[in-house]
Amino acid sequence: MGRLYAVEIVYRGIFQKNLAKNISRAIVLAAHKEGKPGISFGRYGDSPERNGIPAKAFAIVATDEQTLEEGMAKYEPTQVDVSICVDDTLFKGVESWAWYGLQPINKLVKPGGTLIVTSLEEPAALAEMAHRKEAPYQLAVIKAQPSFSGLWVYKDDHTDVRILGAIARVCPELFSLASVQEVIRKDTKDELKATSALRSFERVTTYEVQPTQGNPEEPYKFEMPKWHEMRDGIAIPSIAPGHKMKDPITGTEGGFQPARNPTFKKYATRTMRPVVDFDKCIKCTLCWLACPDSCFDVTPENLYDANLEACCGCGVCEAVCPEPNCVTMVNETHFSDNSSQWQAYRKDAEGYKANLASLIATRPERSHGFRFRGQYEEQVPAIIQAAEAEQQKQTQA
Amino acid sequence: MATTDRELAELTHHKAPHKLDLFKGVKKLPLEEYFTSGHRTCQGCESALVMKLMVKAAGPRTIVLGSTGCMYVANTTYYSTSWVVPWMHTQLGSSGAAALGAAAALKALMRKGKFKDEPINVIAFCGDGGGADMGISGISATLTHPDYNCLILMYDNESYANTDIQLSGSTPYGAHTTFSPPGKTKRIMHHRWKKNFAAMMAAGHPTCKYVATVCMSYPVHAMNAVRKGLSIGGPTFIHSLDPCPKGWDYDPMLSHELGELAVLTGTWPLYEVENGVVKLIGKTRDIADGRVKRLPVRDYLLKQGRFAHFTDDDIDYFQSKVDEMWNKWVVPGVIPFQKHLDEDRPPA
Amino acid sequence: MAEAIITPHVEEPKKKAPAQGDETSLITGSEAIAVACQLADVDVITAYPIRPYDTVMQYVAKLVANGEMDCEYIVAEGEHSQFEIVKHASACGARVFTGSSGVGWMYAMECLTVTPSLRIPMIAMVGNRALDDPKIPSRAKVDAFLPRYDRKDLLLHPDNPITVAPQANEDWLMEIRRGTAAAMERSAGVIREAYADFERIFGRKYGNPFFEEYMTDDADVVLVGMGTLSNPVRVAIRQMREEGKKVGFVRLRWFRPFPAEELAKSLGRFKAVGVIDRDFSLGSPYHSGVVATEVRTALYQSENRPQVVGFICGLGGREVTLPDVRKMSEIVSQAASGKPQPATQWIGLRE
Ligand SMILES: Cc1ncc(C[n+]2csc(CCOP(=O)(O)OP(=O)(O)O)c2C)c(N)n1
Ligand code: SF4
Ligand code: SF4
Ligand code: SF4
Ligand SMILES: [Mg+2]
Repeated sequence: MGRLYAVEIVYRGIFQKNLAKNISRAIVLAAHKEGKPGISFGRYGDSPERNGIPAKAFAIVATDEQTLEEGMAKYEPTQVDVSICVDDTLFKGVESWAWYGLQPINKLVKPGGTLIVTSLEEPAALAEMAHRKEAPYQLAVIKAQPSFSGLWVYKDDHTDVRILGAIARVCPELFSLASVQEVIRKDTKDELKATSALRSFERVTTYEVQPTQGNPEEPYKFEMPKWHEMRDGIAIPSIAPGHKMKDPITGTEGGFQPARNPTFKKYATRTMRPVVDFDKCIKCTLCWLACPDSCFDVTPENLYDANLEACCGCGVCEAVCPEPNCVTMVNETHFSDNSSQWQAYRKDAEGYKANLASLIATRPERSHGFRFRGQYEEQVPAIIQAAEAEQQKQTQA
Repeated sequence: MATTDRELAELTHHKAPHKLDLFKGVKKLPLEEYFTSGHRTCQGCESALVMKLMVKAAGPRTIVLGSTGCMYVANTTYYSTSWVVPWMHTQLGSSGAAALGAAAALKALMRKGKFKDEPINVIAFCGDGGGADMGISGISATLTHPDYNCLILMYDNESYANTDIQLSGSTPYGAHTTFSPPGKTKRIMHHRWKKNFAAMMAAGHPTCKYVATVCMSYPVHAMNAVRKGLSIGGPTFIHSLDPCPKGWDYDPMLSHELGELAVLTGTWPLYEVENGVVKLIGKTRDIADGRVKRLPVRDYLLKQGRFAHFTDDDIDYFQSKVDEMWNKWVVPGVIPFQKHLDEDRPPA
Repeated sequence: MAEAIITPHVEEPKKKAPAQGDETSLITGSEAIAVACQLADVDVITAYPIRPYDTVMQYVAKLVANGEMDCEYIVAEGEHSQFEIVKHASACGARVFTGSSGVGWMYAMECLTVTPSLRIPMIAMVGNRALDDPKIPSRAKVDAFLPRYDRKDLLLHPDNPITVAPQANEDWLMEIRRGTAAAMERSAGVIREAYADFERIFGRKYGNPFFEEYMTDDADVVLVGMGTLSNPVRVAIRQMREEGKKVGFVRLRWFRPFPAEELAKSLGRFKAVGVIDRDFSLGSPYHSGVVATEVRTALYQSENRPQVVGFICGLGGREVTLPDVRKMSEIVSQAASGKPQPATQWIGLRE
């Protein structure tokens, strides 16, 4: 039997759908140039994709047709040679649908395999964000802002070709730089993109992640019931009514906390989280009212606490809050918990405020796609330049 | 001798609807949620917000029936739910039938003494595809049954969204969908103008006592519309316009703003028809009365990737059609009859 | 999942009319069904015109108009709605009835595919032709026979908040189907029980609930059929018997659950079997009707496998005549005597 190569692309639904498709398609075409047959496909269970909800695409390549056929006998490979994560916040775990649980980003990476990620973070920090894995694996960081756009208008910031260049470097058996550049030239007629692939090929560095590194937490998972354990008539109990909140200091009860769907928490969808300056809040209720995910717990003193197990990070609460700097979306990357901001505020208001200020200063909001026509054209040159500069810094270091 | 309404009510054993007082501002809204977190909708999904506010307004004594679409597939993937109140799926074109079936059951069982006699709200929702396209016959039939208390709410995200954004009869002119991609020789694949559905329901069903258009960017009005629809008696209809970050292609944080822009550009007039009386609501009324100037549709269209291929001519054409709604329709923004005909010339 | 369910039922429903004796009256089959709905205290009925089933709904309408029946009688705007209305009414706890004929069923088909897994007991009639003289039982007997419709923890009601029929993806569908299959497996027992109760309460005996045999004891060959065939077939069989032909008739009462083992055992006794289908399934094995295919499948496992000849006749409500039956029985006898016969033959066709 020949050799089988499996590549997965973990991405944000819709925001990165076209990006993931470009990558998986080019992988297969580049390998094909070298006589290796392959196939690329999206995972069935992700469809229909939803903005932000983690999804996966795969590229399966083999040295011959028969090996490919054997590799294709599974819907989803159990191990991959290369895993590509196009948004670093996915390092905290992937929850794609109800009952899926939270799956580690490196789950499918085979021992010694490589996880490629686009991120502005340092490799060591990224390694700590991901769940701990028994066998060592490589981390390859493409220094760039994760690329987000929407269903119709694509932000062509070269993320796709940079990733392709990096694959040629970390897994040269899959395809060479020359092959992938040929595919890029043919597809895009853009020499600049072929050059971006080359730069990334030259400059990508890998970092070995040891079994001692990473988040030691056991991610939540579910045991799916057997058929005879399931309730008859395709019926399931509704979610329970909610209950009052309790102040952690005074014990006063009041407000309201809804009960929530236990089998789909949705926080793995988040790339930004709202942080709230409770002192600025004028209790207008608008964030609570406008949140499509019913995230806000109403505290006994009528403050609104975004429940971070439920929040998917859409940013609507920030958009509707009438008070400047009261709700601020900040980059989700470094947070390692989903605990209540209000509780922290109640326990230590000063400490909370100081922390808030630093969060806002150091974790800038991210862009989630189309805001006006012409936006991408405006942004892309700067993004490409910044990525170039970052990469240069990386090689020099 | 003519039958009076009361005699008719007796003849059909008409049940008094739920009495629900209107909310007087955001501070008076109930804290409880009856549609909660953990649905698999897109970030910033306004249709999910419709679900949340719809049942918040209706309260716990409510049965909700939902037709196929995002609000079924995303909210209730088996063995999982975000509903607190009882909820049941109905087929894509069946919101009218579902509302009727549930309302008829409750009415019969309570009349016959098999169930406790109490007010229970029945709401059936559908998307624009399941409603204005496939479900129109069922909805129309239900709206002619004065003796069943139920509300049909159509959440309109302007496409068959769940199947990955195909155009429906409610998709606006020219929008990019997977069935109407702008191409090399045809920039505009979708040449149809959006159905004027709420007014169609109002005009076509004289016994339906309440029809309203809403948008969740104006939540108190929307919630009060739900309450009116549930308490006025008989079948009622609400049409909600829901910005859809996936299908419209915009940053989800703009959801609320796009709803406002739809209203402020006059593209989505807010009105209600209560017992046959048309009333423009809020900003829409302000526009009609000249207190607020309509914003150009450009401000609305160019914030959405689905219109990114529009040329200036396309935008002008869109504007002219919206202007027509306001300047030429007999009931501006509502009823598309005109006193005389002008030529309709879409750009080539 | 054990949970306490508060059902919104009020105590016991008021018992209606005092016990009366059964009465015999000459009414059409359609009217009998309408009366059955009345006796069963059906709560929600939906109608839509299509021949010939709609005569039932015409009778229902009269009962409602005359105040003889208390139900929500809804004239839907199409069969799809007809079936969806009763589906939801049943989910909310109402006893329901609907029906259709021919293409009406096709138009309603989507709703039919989703209803069984929801465990919704929807009675929907398939209209064909019949004339009979039913005995109408008393309301008291019907009440004794029919338990009150109680969905228990499947009731869609604010006192029992459940989510019904969420969208099932590939992670769940097999388990759901298996659950529904288990219910179908149990249904044979429930049917037997119901027939036994029926006999006990109404004093009417139907024998084997799944199929009825007519003059089969000493038969060499039998005809098998379903539904409205039995009248001409019985008469023809009596005539043929007088001529000394040993022909019998097996009439299926239940198509699902299909009584495969029991039927195979019975049919194994004969030299040849003719299956009369008043339906046709394009492109099916041997270009047969659906009953023939099921009968062949049932027989495959059996030790004795008589020749099976399929007949297509009486389509579109065309009369199945006595000569037709005699012709079919003749063909089956030929098969029994070892003369090979085509697997499917059309009878009563202008050719
Ligand atoms: C009879 C039928 N045809 C097609 C479909 C496939 N389908 C599933 S969801 C959907 C989209 C419905 O669109 P809409 O009603 O607008 O709701 P949305 O998805 O936009 O929320 C379609 C076409 C179906 N479920 N049933
Ligand atoms: S970002 Fe705000 S509005 Fe969006 S889900 Fe989170 S809490 Fe709700
Ligand atoms: S929107 Fe802002 S000011 Fe209003 S309640 Fe929410 S946090 Fe407070
Ligand atoms: S596609 Fe649109 S309607 Fe559907 S879940 Fe996403 S935002 Fe909501
Ligand atoms: Mg839609």
